[in-house]
Amino acid sequence: MASAAKRLEAVSGTIAPQIAFDGVTLVLGGKTIIENLGLGVRPGEFLCIVGASGCGKTTALRLAAGLYQPTSGRVNFDGQPMREPRREIAIVFQDYGKALLPWRTAAGNVSLALEAGGMPSAERPARIEELLRTVGLPGHAGKYPSEMSGGMQQRLQIARCLAQEPKTLLMDEPFGALDAMTRQGLQDEVLSLVAASGATVIFVTHDLDEAIYLGDRVIGLLPHPGRIGIELPVNLPRPRDQLSTREHPEFLRLRRQLFDFIKATEQ
Amino acid sequence: MNRTALVWRLASFAVAASFIALWQLIANLKLVSPVFLPGPDRAWAALVRGFSAGDLWSKLAGTLEHMTYGWLAASIAGIAIGAIIGSSRTMRTYVAPSLEFLRPLPVSAIIPVAIAMLGLTQAMALFVIAFGAIWPIMLATIHGFAAVEPRLYEVARSLQMSRLAVIFKIALPSASPDILAGMRLSLTVALILSVVCEILAGLDGLGHWVLLSARAFRSADLFAGVILLGVTGYVTSVAMSLAENRLLAWQAAQR
Repeated sequence: MASAAKRLEAVSGTIAPQIAFDGVTLVLGGKTIIENLGLGVRPGEFLCIVGASGCGKTTALRLAAGLYQPTSGRVNFDGQPMREPRREIAIVFQDYGKALLPWRTAAGNVSLALEAGGMPSAERPARIEELLRTVGLPGHAGKYPSEMSGGMQQRLQIARCLAQEPKTLLMDEPFGALDAMTRQGLQDEVLSLVAASGATVIFVTHDLDEAIYLGDRVIGLLPHPGRIGIELPVNLPRPRDQLSTREHPEFLRLRRQLFDFIKATEQ
Repeated sequence: MNRTALVWRLASFAVAASFIALWQLIANLKLVSPVFLPGPDRAWAALVRGFSAGDLWSKLAGTLEHMTYGWLAASIAGIAIGAIIGSSRTMRTYVAPSLEFLRPLPVSAIIPVAIAMLGLTQAMALFVIAFGAIWPIMLATIHGFAAVEPRLYEVARSLQMSRLAVIFKIALPSASPDILAGMRLSLTVALILSVVCEILAGLDGLGHWVLLSARAFRSADLFAGVILLGVTGYVTSVAMSLAENRLLAWQAAQR
């Protein structure tokens, strides 16, 4: 598997970062949200960011997306400064209900990304069908988002992001609003989608188990202002498994370490 | 349509029928002089006569024409101006006070100005109708554009959509329920102002017909004109509802 080799190489740190934060500080409304953040995410890496609420995890993701510009410091993508959002960086928002177009069907929502990418209308239906099948929504093309469950809507948003053919996928607590079973199913699907596409992922979550389960590396942020407090490489075998991975001694060790960190930040 | 809806629909027809019966009764008992109040029978006869022998068709067409052109002009201008104002916070802040001054201005007060500038012409009528009908559409569009989910603009940014694509694919559809509601309100305004302009400027239409009939004490003809205006208002409103249901089918799915 090419992506596995790439991933290994990425983790061992021999290639240039795809996304690089260099001394990034962000001040919003007179408040320092992020201070002097330095971080490199290598191509194909799955990076998870955790932290107490209000620590700036989502803000860091929005900086990576180009939705915010740093007050000082630089965010680079493939060595180029990020001045605005780009199509090769897709964002999966937590609030899928707000991020989907309620007046477009599932197919129409996926089509939005294809239209933006300039795909001729004749080629779209086949691609839409393929993408909906990839995220496990075959046969739902004609449904409106409001006719779908939360899990299905989030799958649809992921399909739209995949339609961007992103080099980087930014995910902001994508499963935060879903029930446990749906969440676990989607975790595994995201892992296999990412493995297939080779995309780089930055995944923000407040669920420590989820972060360890998914990531190649987990970063914990300290609040007020947001900065890196802990950085843990996750040396768990892939493909991961909901039962055996979560019972792995390394998983439990990392889990303890992260919990202690979060507990300390909350005091 | 389910059973309950059917019962309600029948009940509403029964109410309408009893109003007509009451009207017939009052006319037959001559509680009001027949010179001023014809019964439904005479009004109906006048209506049939107007269509078969008279020029009621051309009067109806005249009113529909005034109403439609004025309303369409108001819709196009109202949506365009509303979109420009609504999509920018700065514009809203600067323009809102002027709008608040112009909006409550009775359109009847504009008519003498319009007549002075444009004369007793079709152009004057078009201007007055459009001016009166533009407000509900423009204000609804401003509101609709201002209320677009900010998240959707972020989705558009991350897809690097062009400004034009954002307007047509995100903002307009998102504001469409508001815009259509505004257009529905404007439809009534356009009908009222069509009649007013026809009466004041003597333009060909039902307003003029009603005025002439009243002056000649042809009360049956007068009522025929009024009934026709009522029907026009009702039919256009129903047509608008059908269009709304069709265009906003996605909202029905949401409920």
